[in-house]
Amino acid sequence: MSAPMPPPTTLEHARWERFKSKLGGWSLTTYGILAFAFLYLPIVILVIFSFNDSRSVSKWSGFTWAWYGKMFQDGQIMLSIWNSLFLAIVSTIIATVLGTLAALGLERYRFRGKTAVDSMFYLPVIIPDIAMAIMLLIFFNMSGIGFTPWKVNFFGARLAVPYSVIIGHVAFNTSFVAIVVRARLAQMDRTLEEAASDLYANAWQTFRRVTLPMLMPGIIGGALLAFTLSLDDFVITFFTSGAGFNTLPVRVFGMIKKGVTPKINAVSTLMLVVSLSLVVVSILISMRSGSEDSVTIGM
Amino acid sequence: MTERLRRHPELQAWLILAIPVIFLLIFFMAPLVIVFVYSFLERGKYGGVEWVFTLDNIRRVFDPLYFKTFVRSFYIAIVTTLVTLILGYPLAYFIAKSPPSRRNALVFALMIPFWTNFLIRTYAWLTLLRTHTGLINVTLMNWGIIDKPLPLYGNDFAIILGLVYGWLPVMVLPIYAALERLDESLLEAARDLYASSAKAFRRVTWPLSLPGVVAGSMLVFIPSLGAFVTPAILGGGKSLMIGNIISNQFLGAHDWPFGSALSMVMMIAMLIATLIYFRWTKKSEDVT
Amino acid sequence: MNDAYAVELRDVVKQFGDVIAVNHVSLQIKDGEFFSLLGPSGCGKTTTLRMIAGFEMPTSGAIFIHGEQQGYRPPNKRPVNTVFQNYALFPHMTVAENIAFGMEMRQVPKDEIQRRVDEALAMVRLAGMGNRKPKQLSGGQQQRIALARALVNRPEVLLLDEPLGALDLKLRKAMQIELKALQEEVGITFIYVTHDQEEALTMSDRIAVMNNGVVHQVGDPESIYEHPADRFVADFIGETNFIPVRVVSLSPEIVVALGAGQQVVAGWAEEGLSVGDEAVLSIRPEKMDLLEPKDMPKSPSQQMAYVKGKVTHLVYVGADTRHTVVLGDGSEVVVRLQNSYIGEEPWEIGEETIVTWNAAHARILKE
Repeated sequence: MSAPMPPPTTLEHARWERFKSKLGGWSLTTYGILAFAFLYLPIVILVIFSFNDSRSVSKWSGFTWAWYGKMFQDGQIMLSIWNSLFLAIVSTIIATVLGTLAALGLERYRFRGKTAVDSMFYLPVIIPDIAMAIMLLIFFNMSGIGFTPWKVNFFGARLAVPYSVIIGHVAFNTSFVAIVVRARLAQMDRTLEEAASDLYANAWQTFRRVTLPMLMPGIIGGALLAFTLSLDDFVITFFTSGAGFNTLPVRVFGMIKKGVTPKINAVSTLMLVVSLSLVVVSILISMRSGSEDSVTIGM
Repeated sequence: MTERLRRHPELQAWLILAIPVIFLLIFFMAPLVIVFVYSFLERGKYGGVEWVFTLDNIRRVFDPLYFKTFVRSFYIAIVTTLVTLILGYPLAYFIAKSPPSRRNALVFALMIPFWTNFLIRTYAWLTLLRTHTGLINVTLMNWGIIDKPLPLYGNDFAIILGLVYGWLPVMVLPIYAALERLDESLLEAARDLYASSAKAFRRVTWPLSLPGVVAGSMLVFIPSLGAFVTPAILGGGKSLMIGNIISNQFLGAHDWPFGSALSMVMMIAMLIATLIYFRWTKKSEDVT
Repeated sequence: MNDAYAVELRDVVKQFGDVIAVNHVSLQIKDGEFFSLLGPSGCGKTTTLRMIAGFEMPTSGAIFIHGEQQGYRPPNKRPVNTVFQNYALFPHMTVAENIAFGMEMRQVPKDEIQRRVDEALAMVRLAGMGNRKPKQLSGGQQQRIALARALVNRPEVLLLDEPLGALDLKLRKAMQIELKALQEEVGITFIYVTHDQEEALTMSDRIAVMNNGVVHQVGDPESIYEHPADRFVADFIGETNFIPVRVVSLSPEIVVALGAGQQVVAGWAEEGLSVGDEAVLSIRPEKMDLLEPKDMPKSPSQQMAYVKGKVTHLVYVGADTRHTVVLGDGSEVVVRLQNSYIGEEPWEIGEETIVTWNAAHARILKE
């Protein structure tokens, strides 16, 4: 009540401090907007030009669906789509099983040599894909497995998928699945398994009725990650497919080398839509299972 | 038998791990060893290899012609990492300082580009950067801002831009995670102890976010060093990195031993760089 | 083989690396009793419980349930059930499925399962909640479901690991009464782990007080409280005064000398004490009284101790007042006097007083 009035400079200083922090806040937000624009603009432009009514990907001439039509009529592109899907499905299934087993073994047990095994499972994630691609190329060439294809009829398409590519995809996907499943395992409540045992469940029943259901969101997350990585992979597929086998990314690469047209944009947009849907699906799943790091699947 | 299994958890572990481990041993470790072995073999007359021990391949790697590319690749990788750090840290900060309800949406928005195909994102930049037909040059020339196209393609600039674009989300995420975990009361304590905003950042926020910075840097540096797609598409056939040279040995030149040697040296270089980086950041962590 | 005991531990040891968590513990727990393992954190009580359940195996020693040695039997083969500290309800199953789990594992016929699940829910007064998921229930309700899930299997012994720890005070007190009533109704042996001595004293038929892996005393609540066997028990249970003394004689009477030389008689001495030893006289604050020096009796009884002192501190705690008194030799005691005397002057700080107690309440314990 009888406190002296603060000198004017202090009040101005306070105002200046407030202004500075507001300015800071504004510039940060502006930066954020610009950064996100930087991230999205190229993609948006890509999508826009897939509808371009001319062969140019940089001069807009009008709207058309023609390129999508051309894309769906292109037999090679359609074949590569089927190849990609089949490859992704098969390699995901195998990688999910192997990755889940690896996660269980590494997360739940201690044993001699664990560090070595643990490190081995991290290697495929760390190694650059070109190195892994040539590694596999040499191996398949040398081992006589070669690039023998698995001839299969997939929803009417007659595919010849080299085993080498499948194996290559499983090789890198297993580790990713293992990482995701392990993370989920680590945050599982161990007392639940003790409770199951206390309630007369044997090891297998405990696993089937308690561990596995609780682990499922993690397993599905890992599977989705593997599926996406497989669909998107270029380098490893490129080197391990021998002659004549194309997945969509490999096909796109070939198209780019031959000449740039909006058809490539159309294919790209298609792949974009698929990727986005997969991300949305994985977010929905992880939201339902109530985990907090819903968006960090795969990192 | 189940009794034995229960007494010896180690046995259980090995049983569960058997298949994945064997799979990786055969299809990952064995190829790795083979590449190592191949580095020391001679190139066969009609492609393939001769089982003759030689150090020529290793020597060739350090030949100025190829070593130059190594140096350039390191340069590109380091610049990429720095640029992503400079661009990414404020972005991570922005997301971390956003209201909690918006944060998840922002992270989601950050990850969407990363989840789309790398090849496609690189192709997008191709259409923007190309000298005569790229969107940027075409638009700038149309608007009369420049009369000659800018050299945005087929050089280190294009590659670095492409890599930064591709790996930015990967740098942001760990930094964001570290910043988000940061206890606000630490900063309040710093302010209470007369620190300015800048000082508080330098002495409190930055050191505590360092683990995220290290993680992000590693996650960007390694793939940048081994880049293949980006220089292949944006390098215009002129700017090549180690990844392309290695690829050429297998697709064009059919010199597999040399390609293996290049690959080995690249991986060892990455390992050394990683170790040095960890050592260096550990030291600066201890100082703070 | 002794069928009289529900659970028997014979010389059980549990060692983790260098740490001996349970150190030669032997217990005999009777059928139908509410038996508590009481002690501070890390005393080994939970480890002991887990060994009975089968989650840990003893390093040495034997555990018997109704006469049968358990050996290396895993938990799912033992006739006991556990109520976990964090309840461990299966989040992906409904309440009914949780309760039914144990019976399903034992392949009880479906209609019987249904009937018993309903009974169990009624017993814990949560009838109709069967279709809810655990996360939709409050902490107290989850606790009761955990209880139902265990009891529905009609175990020979129920093991409870600090089940009320997560509940707030009022709920905890209510649940203590409920649990005790439930145990009496169902009639099976409860083995209850807690660090809360008031809880143990309220609910148990008998208590085992543990510290550092060792059982210090086993007895009913009154024995534990009134006749603590050693310093740890005296200190851990309730409030106690410890007066440093020296042993003057042990028979025919126990006589000790206080710091200033005055000799008093005591009612009990711990085994292993000899004449001349330094020891402590342990007496509870409510067993002591304060006299004005002018009221000192002319011919004091040998059964009573009269020690001069000065009041230094007073704390009013509602039902009584804690008087801190410093004795001649500098040692401090706390005397609790009920605030129910009308007309008497309350004690003041600085007043000279005489602390008095009945020798029967004084116990001489090793330091």
